[in-house]
Amino acid sequence: MKIVFARLALLALVLAAWELLPRHGIVNPLLLPPLGDVLAMLGELLQRGQVREALGVSAAEVLLAFVVAVPLGAALGVLIAENDYLGEVFKPMLFIVFAIPKSIFLPMFILVFGTGFQQKVAYAAFTTTFVVLMSAAAAVESVKQDYLLVARSYGATRLQLVSRVYVPSMMPLLLETLRISMIFNFTGVLIAEMYASRTGIGHLIASWGENFQMKQLFAGVVLLAAAAIVFNEAVRFLESRVSAWRT
Amino acid sequence: MYGGTVPALENISFNVPAGRFTVIVGPSGCGKTSLLMMLAGLRAQTQGTIQCLGRPIPQPDPLRVGVIFQEASLYPWLTALENIEFPLSLRGTEKKEHRRRAQAMLELVGLSGFGERYPHELSGGMKQRVSIARGLVQDPPVLLMDEPFAALDEQTRMTMGHELLRIWSTTSKTVVFITHSLTEAVYLADEVLVMSARPGRIIDRIHVDLPRPRSYDMMATDVFGRLRDRIWQQIRKSDA
Repeated sequence: MKIVFARLALLALVLAAWELLPRHGIVNPLLLPPLGDVLAMLGELLQRGQVREALGVSAAEVLLAFVVAVPLGAALGVLIAENDYLGEVFKPMLFIVFAIPKSIFLPMFILVFGTGFQQKVAYAAFTTTFVVLMSAAAAVESVKQDYLLVARSYGATRLQLVSRVYVPSMMPLLLETLRISMIFNFTGVLIAEMYASRTGIGHLIASWGENFQMKQLFAGVVLLAAAAIVFNEAVRFLESRVSAWRT
Repeated sequence: MYGGTVPALENISFNVPAGRFTVIVGPSGCGKTSLLMMLAGLRAQTQGTIQCLGRPIPQPDPLRVGVIFQEASLYPWLTALENIEFPLSLRGTEKKEHRRRAQAMLELVGLSGFGERYPHELSGGMKQRVSIARGLVQDPPVLLMDEPFAALDEQTRMTMGHELLRIWSTTSKTVVFITHSLTEAVYLADEVLVMSARPGRIIDRIHVDLPRPRSYDMMATDVFGRLRDRIWQQIRKSDA
């Protein structure tokens, strides 16, 4: 209980500092506008058609990239985890490629896909697929051989092995994968939008920054931070529900 | 496997009388577990035949042969009761009947009241009781046990052995029990089969004529000591 109190106090302290320090000129309000002003701006921005449209575009990009990357990455991950030969061949290269910062490939995506909707989806899906692939492979490998042996000894069919052993055993890791992949996916879309784009919330944030519109910039940051945190916490809540058995 | 292959088992021939408690004992790596996997239909032998109740067992047949593994093989995402129901739930759909039978098994192994606990909320001995209940729930005439008590401390291990004999005496099952503990082997068995180091062969069959029910006092007797020594000598000879 004390810990919760201390955490809330810390949060209140940060928010109060954000409000008071610029308000009293201790921090330059041109660089960091007071929290109250930022929130007022956020309310105003959400009324603007241009901002709403940008949010819609970004959301569509995030969603589509997610829908492409998660099943694709999961399928590939399961494949290299389940097939010993493919695993031996592909794993070393995947591990090496995984270490490369994916953003250096962004110019290539622009050359191939232009600077529109497709490029954002393609780039975000590309970065996310890697994460999902690695985590899915790890999730499959986390299933103990003993668990499978037991089920087989009781005459489980292949389908039952999947539904009764693989899935429940992997569920905590799968949800974690979903959560982390969304972080990568979101980042991918925003980076692509900030780098070269005429649409999307990332593009708006980048141009507010370039034009020194700090209230708008921070309002955008608050909005995206809130969206990311809500998704993250929702999946984390699910995770804690299904992984109560993990000690 | 890469490179050359070493046969795990060689010239194994034995029969297990119905309703008796047979213990297979041997040094680690002698192929005891491979043998049990073959008896369970979980692994195919390269040569020879295995018959169970007069028929070969090319794949797992849970209604003929139940397998009891080490305690770590319980599903951690299922409660004790759900673990026991697991074999039933792979087939039938009569949930109420499953629950009733699982509950009966839970009582048999002395765990009534712990059905809603998850494995991580149970002690090592209790987990092993659940595992035994899971092996018994389909009432197979043959039970195979692969070092079921290996992960338990010595004290719990002896208690569990005694418990197993109690449970076994209320059923009329044929048991094949694998262990590397000589004391456990003599305490439990009607007959002990001694295996040699790899490639595993049966090098001795020892009839244990201690009366039943067994009691802990018997371990201090000369007969018990002589039987254990004989197994130990056989294993040592084969290892040298």
